[in-house]
Amino acid sequence: MTTAAFEERLKELGLGEGWRWEKGSWWLEAPETFNVRTNTETLIRHGARFVAITAIELPSKEVRLDYQWDLNGQLLSIITATAAHKIATIADLIPAADWVERETYEYFAVEFTGRANTIPLMMRAGDPVGINLHKEAAQ
Amino acid sequence: MSFRVPIGPFHPALEEPYKLELICDGETVRDAVMNVGFNFRGIEYLAERRNWLQDITLVERVCGICSNVHSLSFCQTAEQLTGAAPPERALYIRVILAELERLHSHFLWSGIVGKLIGFKTVFMTCFLMREKVMDALSAISGNRVNYGMNCIGGVNRDIADPGAVLALLAEMEHEIEKTIIPIFLHDKTVATRCKGVGILTHAQAVSMGAVGPLARASGVGQDLRKAAPYAAYERFDFEVPVETSGDVMARVIVHAREMIESCRILRQALTSLPAGEIHTPTPTAAKYKVPAGTAISRVEAPRGEVLYHVTSNGTDIPARVRVRTPTFMNMATVRYAVLGQELSDSPLIQASCDPCYSCTDR
Repeated sequence: MTTAAFEERLKELGLGEGWRWEKGSWWLEAPETFNVRTNTETLIRHGARFVAITAIELPSKEVRLDYQWDLNGQLLSIITATAAHKIATIADLIPAADWVERETYEYFAVEFTGRANTIPLMMRAGDPVGINLHKEAAQ
Repeated sequence: MSFRVPIGPFHPALEEPYKLELICDGETVRDAVMNVGFNFRGIEYLAERRNWLQDITLVERVCGICSNVHSLSFCQTAEQLTGAAPPERALYIRVILAELERLHSHFLWSGIVGKLIGFKTVFMTCFLMREKVMDALSAISGNRVNYGMNCIGGVNRDIADPGAVLALLAEMEHEIEKTIIPIFLHDKTVATRCKGVGILTHAQAVSMGAVGPLARASGVGQDLRKAAPYAAYERFDFEVPVETSGDVMARVIVHAREMIESCRILRQALTSLPAGEIHTPTPTAAKYKVPAGTAISRVEAPRGEVLYHVTSNGTDIPARVRVRTPTFMNMATVRYAVLGQELSDSPLIQASCDPCYSCTDR
């Protein structure tokens, strides 16, 4: 399938407009109306495989979250960001996201709202969260 | 009466530290709780405080078995950002290293499974062959693990004598086809211990995001070497073995057939190795800078998909290095695979998922 045809297919599947192919992935800047849970349900319905959530600290101190999915061998990255370090969980929709969300909370202090399970994954109970934030850069 | 069996984090049965608590009714496992993080080294954090060249060495330490795929993935992201396309010969050498590493990992896995089902001949045969693969890796790279082969824009060392690797390949193919495959496919002991044991259904594999041979043994047919080819994989003819029963037997069959396919790829790569350079002008300066941007690389490691998501802010130090390893996705499936199984089968079931705690924790 050509790049243009795949872009058209993403639109047809209801995964939004404005996808671009660049450096190993299809990228979409999530619009303001973006709902991570609705998007997850759409991707699951079309047989996409959950791959990862990548957190990147922004200069604003919010955290950019790239949701990565595999659709027929093509990697999709949906760029979104937290609001007050919070975003809705998708772990109840796709269990594969459970460990990734727990890890992201510990490394970047992102709270995934609506989670049933907040048991630490890599850290131990009582350890500080946000250990991967560039605190020294802010000092 | 329900009771709880704690295994680990430090236990003679575990090669690496992790903790598994099995909740049992008599001999039947009713639930399992997993604790990881005992190998946490903060590699992502460290990678964002070292330069691009130091990071190649660092990420190779994510895992002792599949070390090559980590430096390969990392270098591929840097190559996408810099535009440093590796020469054809380097792409072939990357495939050869990756397939030798897969054989090394699959022989290790097969040997451990052989040991756990009480079949010492399989263990001894697999570990003997694994030694030979490691000797070949050592002859090529100078190291038995952590090969230091990948650089941004190619590889650091050439394969001076492809014929020597081909001779080893013939020996391995003979051993796999005459000893390992017949035992794994036709031996009564193996069948008794593995058939119908530790089932991970297709639906569970999909919902847990399982990857690699574990997923392929549950009918999830994706292999990035075919689905999203990198290095020189699209030049080679090979098959992706898929089984649908999802039990330990299916994982045994998938691993065994993947070893045969690795040998096929190696034979093609070694006999058609193109002449030429092995790298583009290699960056050596400590202040080597990479243009700003984000790139992603995915590689089919022996245990499944590895993802590197790397962001550069235009300096000599990456702004973000995200490493998602295959076992991070596969590990949690152990909970489903042990449910309803005999307690005595749990070591084999968790080993059959090929867990690497070092990768998981990073």
